[in-house]
Amino acid sequence: MKQRSILLKSIEEQELWEKEVVLQRNEFLKVAGSIDTNLYFIVEGTIRIFIIDEDHEHTIRFGYKDNMIASLDSFISEKPSSYYIQTIKKTRLKIISKKGLNHLIAQSPELQVFWKMALEQIIFQQLEREQDLLISSPAERYKRVLDRSPQLFQEVPNKYIASYLRMTPETLSRLKKY
Amino acid sequence: METTNDNVLMELIEITRINLNHIEQFKQLSLKELNLKENKESWSILECIAHLNIYGDFYLPELAKGVLIAEPFHSPFKSGLLGGYFVQMIRPKKEMKRMKTMKKFNPVGSKLDASVLEKFKQHQLQLLDLLVKASSLNINKTKTAVSISKIIKMRLGDTFQFVVFHNQRHIIQAKKVQQRFI
Repeated sequence: MKQRSILLKSIEEQELWEKEVVLQRNEFLKVAGSIDTNLYFIVEGTIRIFIIDEDHEHTIRFGYKDNMIASLDSFISEKPSSYYIQTIKKTRLKIISKKGLNHLIAQSPELQVFWKMALEQIIFQQLEREQDLLISSPAERYKRVLDRSPQLFQEVPNKYIASYLRMTPETLSRLKKY
Repeated sequence: METTNDNVLMELIEITRINLNHIEQFKQLSLKELNLKENKESWSILECIAHLNIYGDFYLPELAKGVLIAEPFHSPFKSGLLGGYFVQMIRPKKEMKRMKTMKKFNPVGSKLDASVLEKFKQHQLQLLDLLVKASSLNINKTKTAVSISKIIKMRLGDTFQFVVFHNQRHIIQAKKVQQRFI
């Protein structure tokens, strides 16, 4: 996590945060159809990223205090994305645009290395997540995520965890008892 | 004025996001607060939203039908003559003039609870889905029925604008009620 703190420090020092927003519980930072190329830093609060498919919400990712989050598809492609980003509790975010970030990174070879490492980490997490989704045993899916991010089970209501684990809330509470 | 379809729809998506957030804020209020009103004729927060739900019940199926039959290619959007007029009329301005509501759209006197807010939220998620689909369609040519007259038809793009600005208008009204009393 060292690379992240150096990146954050540079943004702070050069005063590159472009905006700060506070959202109340359950408010939307982003809805389907919009283009969002910002990078967000969660000062406090918790968020979730989800899509809606035929009236069903599928939770894709969570963000906690001190995390950086983005609508990564839009961030990369600069095109509309189908992601929703919603707060789970009152959340304060600092915002830097892709342009601002790129400008900062271009100045320093050190930051370029750090940014590359951050992106590698995201790719690695996505590979883990891909396996999560392909594993057919709900118990195994639960165990993997519990081992990987115990924080999830403290910060996030069961219904969203169940959606993330691709199981019903009932199955999740049964698994939690063992 | 000719604008690109994307810009029009992008603005509507952003306004709808903000509308949704106001609804989430209203959800934190008590039922008593949600029902407060200045006098018998004026609307409470829930009455404002219930009014929008009546509109939603009419327009969402119309928009869905339009999206289903619209030509599947993008074309720059241009408001129709009447559609453009209605859109400008309903679009919130700094000083909003009071407008008359037809009786069938007036929620005053109905018994309302917080399910009104949840219904509106579900309507907005449907609306967003339609707005996303519409961005790759020709929203000029397809026409939809309107609530105020059986004779007039409006371009799909104008109907989208009308619905979203009308939502915004009454959410602002509801927000004012909240600021005055709560």
